[in-house]
Amino acid sequence: MSAPGRNYWRSLEELALQLMAASMALGGLSACGPEPNPRQLLPYVEQAPGIVPGRSRYYATATTQDGYATGVLVAHQMARPVKVEGNPDHPASLGGASAIMQATILTLYDPRRAQSIVGNGQIDTWESFITALYERRDRLLARGGDGLRLLTGNITSPSLAAQIAALQQQFPAMRRHQWEPLHRDNEFAASQHAFGRPVERVLDVGAADVIFAVESDLISAVPGWLAYARQFAARRRPDETGGQMSRVYAIESTPTLIGAKADHRLPMRPQEILDGMRHLAAAVGAGPQEWAQSQTKDASWLAAAAQDLMQHKGRALVHAGREQPVEVHLLADAINGALGAFGKTIRPIEPVAVAPIPHQQSLQELVADITAGRVDTLLMLETNPLYSTPVDLDFSGALKRVPLSVSLALYADETAEASTWLVPSTHEYEVWSDARAFDGTVTIQQPQVRRLYGGHSAQELLAVLLADTSPDDYALVRGYWQQEAQQKGRGNFEAFWNESLRSGIVNGSAAAPVTAAPKSDIAAGLPPTVPAETAITVLFRPDPLVWDGRFADNAWLLEMPPNGHSVRAPFFVLPGQAPDCITLPLGFGRRAGGLGADVGFDAYPLRSIGSPWQTKAALSKTGDMLRLATTQGHDRVAGRDLIHEGTLAEYQKNPRFLEQQRNEESLYPSYSYLRYAWAMAIDLNSCIGCQACVVACQAENNVPVVGKDQVLAGRVMHWLRIDRYYSGSPDNPGIAFEPMPCMHCENAPCEVVCPVHATVHDHEGLNLMVYNRCVGTRFCSNNCPYKVRRFNFFDYTLKNDRQAESWNPEVSVRGRGVMEKCTYCIQRIRTTQVDAHREDRPVRDGQIQTACQQSCPTQAIIFGNRNDPSSAVARRKASPLDYVLLEELNTRPRTSYSALIRNPNPAIESEKA
Amino acid sequence: MNLIDLPGDAPVIEPGVTLRSLSEEVSDRVLRPQAPRWWWIGFGISLALFLTLVVATAWLFVNGIGVWGVDIPVAWGFAIAEYVWWIALASGGTIVSALFYLTRSPWRSATNRIAETMMLSAAASAGIMPIMHLGRQGFFYWLFPYPNVMDVWPQVRSPLWWDFICLLCYILMSIMFYYTGLLPDLATVRDQAQHRRKQMFYGILALGWRGSARHWRNYQSVYFIMCAIMAPMVISVHSVVGLDFAGGLTTGWHSTQFPPYFFFGAVISGLALVIMLTIVVRHGYGFQGIITAYHLNAMGKIMLTGSLMLGYSYVWEAWGPIYANSIADRTAFLDTIFGTYAPTYWARVTLNIIIPQLLWLPIVRRSEILLFLISAGIIVGMWLERFDIVIPNLARDWMPSYWGVYYPTLWDWATLAGSIGLFLSLFFLMMRFLPMVSISEVREIIAKGETK
Repeated sequence: MSAPGRNYWRSLEELALQLMAASMALGGLSACGPEPNPRQLLPYVEQAPGIVPGRSRYYATATTQDGYATGVLVAHQMARPVKVEGNPDHPASLGGASAIMQATILTLYDPRRAQSIVGNGQIDTWESFITALYERRDRLLARGGDGLRLLTGNITSPSLAAQIAALQQQFPAMRRHQWEPLHRDNEFAASQHAFGRPVERVLDVGAADVIFAVESDLISAVPGWLAYARQFAARRRPDETGGQMSRVYAIESTPTLIGAKADHRLPMRPQEILDGMRHLAAAVGAGPQEWAQSQTKDASWLAAAAQDLMQHKGRALVHAGREQPVEVHLLADAINGALGAFGKTIRPIEPVAVAPIPHQQSLQELVADITAGRVDTLLMLETNPLYSTPVDLDFSGALKRVPLSVSLALYADETAEASTWLVPSTHEYEVWSDARAFDGTVTIQQPQVRRLYGGHSAQELLAVLLADTSPDDYALVRGYWQQEAQQKGRGNFEAFWNESLRSGIVNGSAAAPVTAAPKSDIAAGLPPTVPAETAITVLFRPDPLVWDGRFADNAWLLEMPPNGHSVRAPFFVLPGQAPDCITLPLGFGRRAGGLGADVGFDAYPLRSIGSPWQTKAALSKTGDMLRLATTQGHDRVAGRDLIHEGTLAEYQKNPRFLEQQRNEESLYPSYSYLRYAWAMAIDLNSCIGCQACVVACQAENNVPVVGKDQVLAGRVMHWLRIDRYYSGSPDNPGIAFEPMPCMHCENAPCEVVCPVHATVHDHEGLNLMVYNRCVGTRFCSNNCPYKVRRFNFFDYTLKNDRQAESWNPEVSVRGRGVMEKCTYCIQRIRTTQVDAHREDRPVRDGQIQTACQQSCPTQAIIFGNRNDPSSAVARRKASPLDYVLLEELNTRPRTSYSALIRNPNPAIESEKA
Repeated sequence: MNLIDLPGDAPVIEPGVTLRSLSEEVSDRVLRPQAPRWWWIGFGISLALFLTLVVATAWLFVNGIGVWGVDIPVAWGFAIAEYVWWIALASGGTIVSALFYLTRSPWRSATNRIAETMMLSAAASAGIMPIMHLGRQGFFYWLFPYPNVMDVWPQVRSPLWWDFICLLCYILMSIMFYYTGLLPDLATVRDQAQHRRKQMFYGILALGWRGSARHWRNYQSVYFIMCAIMAPMVISVHSVVGLDFAGGLTTGWHSTQFPPYFFFGAVISGLALVIMLTIVVRHGYGFQGIITAYHLNAMGKIMLTGSLMLGYSYVWEAWGPIYANSIADRTAFLDTIFGTYAPTYWARVTLNIIIPQLLWLPIVRRSEILLFLISAGIIVGMWLERFDIVIPNLARDWMPSYWGVYYPTLWDWATLAGSIGLFLSLFFLMMRFLPMVSISEVREIIAKGETK
């Protein structure tokens, strides 16, 4: 550096160079990192038309879970993806977005993702990986692919499937194995039996008047559940359906969400479920009559359910969860057959996943072949078998015998650590690909951002084996669709391509129904009933949030309280569990990877290949005590009037049966709202407790993650929580879910006690928090009877190991020592208001959606202007079922609830009485 | 012991004490060049405890309020319980000093200085608590109504604001009251001092007091007016602290009984601490002639009265939730007396109500050891009561899904120990450098011959 002023021109020149370097670094932020093709995504140098700071732009793509796609719209703020919404046009989303889907945005930015290629324990380059793979390719070619194996999860991607088919041609002896820890082998085995071939079932839940759920994941996990939950809830709102409701029966060992919503629910041991299904099958004429003779204590209950099902032939549906044994699935099919459900409430289609071979068998064969020395090249694409395979297969021992193993993984997980090569994979939002939904609809996935940490996609990896040493994901996917469009005669490809990307679905790609009819005697030849055992049974179930473990690195999902699902080891005694059954959630206790490593306990070591979903167990006391991090203080309403509940019969007799006289007299004049009075209505009938809204709120409002020790300390930060209340006997309780955002009280108790005016009432009735003014007396939280206020006891935001660009720029992040709470998504309200103001018109009803409302698969949450009597929220508040919490305190909340109405079968009810 | 020899019959001042010996004796404790050994030990321990507070506060400021055990729903913890506790102790000092000045009680003359010293020291400990408790301590001054360009003012509907103003006035007034009462004594010490530097020091503090008749006339009227202000003020300051709770919507708090309830607590706990400190000063400084069994007996009786008043509040505390048609209040109360925090409830009933009934016996009132122990029990019991009012009610409020528990952390306890250290350090310092008995007032008693 020259001394200042000494060489004027030179220092100016240096300054110019520095400025240029700086502008390159800032302007071309996403240009860093390895990037083979700089075609699709360009940083702005000048502000592009239509890109306004503070306004979101949405791009369609899809997320996948177990291979099945759900369409999403990714919200971008200044070209940075910040939030995931459901794609209303996509059949698997209809606008809803699950907790897992929404949490993908956090994984995208996760700095703990694998970022370097590792070969034989050393950080290496893509080039040397290609060299190694290419060398192996030559040898494999000579052998016709003998020794080459692929291990994948479900594959629904048409382009990837085509690529694998091409590989198979080049390497005829190659074999593909698949392993999804939460496979649906039993369901497919049953359909193989019933239809003679594996079929996928697309359900019409909305057409079902009676649903019989056998530990069913119908509204919690089955592919397409968001859509099913929407249809389900639409039939459960009596004041919108003219006083009609569907009726739901549930039998289950572990409480499920549909069990919680059921009108009749019976906890049963696994063996009892099988017996019960036989009983039911006999009662509807789908099985031998002697099945109905068994002396089960629930005979009359089952008989009543059977009669109800029979009365609704063609409008009934039996659904069994993936964990149920083949027999139960067969019985369910038989009953569905007898009820005429096929073609009505169940539409069989060709399987969405490519080659739905039994996963258990496939994996077993792979391990056997490795052990026999027949495998020398193993490519594991986005699967983590070392963590998730049944313990008796000893996959880790087998993997050591494979000379060249490649793990394409998002994290340096257990498998990646034990493989010869770890190739970091791209996140779904970084790469071109495609995937199919539960009904076969294809989404072409477009990248939302440049690859943040390098990474490569499965397509790119396989392309290397197809002699493409500089693979390009865009060309691969586009090439496939060009070919497809030609074959199908789609006409103008550019138009098709652009429209598919824009809408997030490929038009007309839903699978056609298969013509095959089910066998008439599905249940014939089932083995005879074995007497029930009383030994303690351990049930393996997916964790509703971390799933099979693949989302265990996501802080939002780790900190989400699961609802009504799991008995934890160490023990958590959960009402409604079947006797002698212990449920172990899979997916925790990861040994490697990101954030999820060493969190919780691992249930996989108990799971064996022969019995993937349950096992017999003995319990012994360890004597250790462990404080479990739960977020709910007490499971019962404790005499408070928090859940209004009634039956459909009562409602039909008098829709106002729950209505109470509201007493709103006051000595003080009330506020007047000239234009808008924002309000929310939440329908307890529709809420299924899926937690999607909680994650939506967390993502939208920059709610920090606090960590397990802080959860234990009672300092969870969620602005919106879902309370779960039990009623009745703990053996078979009634369950109610109650989402709790801020009530935005008219007489807000928090406002009067703040000494510094940090929480105030605004002209549209919102109860606001002025973070900058808050000194942190916490009196407002004490005074809030709904306990919806959250306090930054530490600097949680700073402690969150999170990329700065992943926060929502529309919402302030809160510093240490200030109070915060639900704002009704004021940033969304104001944005819409500004737009309306510019166009000189009022805000239209439905134009403002809060984040929780937008994500809710069942449309339980409605938000809008209470002043407008025609608004959806005003109409729902006018319903006789509408009520507010803790009315006796005269807080006059703006968030109100619709009472929970159940539709019990009078035959069963009278017997109970 | 002769039962007829009632402690109330003891002389107010032992016959041997003369005007001269009084002045010399009290001044001597201040002017002697070396503090006694017990003072150094006491002050050393106090200072060590005070250093705990320094460390705990530094840790708190660096890391945030999360180092304490507070959570949601129990957003107020030790700091608020201790604030109420300390302010009650401080108020007790004022009650002895101001209220009983107005009633012309003779026993007050020899003990009011101890009570006022205690009041100032305890007020310091009380004053820091609500500030430490804030999430953003640096901005506590936003509670003060100062003009600013943003035109933002405090929220005058908040009980916290009333409390802030009340506490501020109370502390300022207490300092003035203390100093005014001290003036003639400072002059006496100045006159007794032999060294130039001490003469200067106390001379400046004495503000030129010469003891002229006019001085005395003005002084007496000012002091009387101050007492007349302080007496209602002490009732109001503690009542407003009670409104912090009564004004809240929380179960167990929303009750009109809190203002008197808290005042009664101030009477009993203040008296208890005055008794303990009086016993310490009496023996430490050899003031047996000036502070006699008569004083201890009188204070014991008032403490008993305080205990009965508090017992009355306890009855109403239980009656409210039972009588009111509020399941939440009832649940919270039942949980307080039978639930997680039941030991604290029954301990405070025992220490504050049951054991003090021993004070009905004259034999107990004349035993310094028993008085000291009962008083110490009351101090602990009152701390438990503050804990019991703040925490269990928050832990079991309206929303069962958000019921919680409160686990105090090491830093909570360190802050408690540290605040005691702050109190004792201040008290020991004032004890060393200021006269601990009001010389002028005791002179009056001797002069008027009201010693018996």
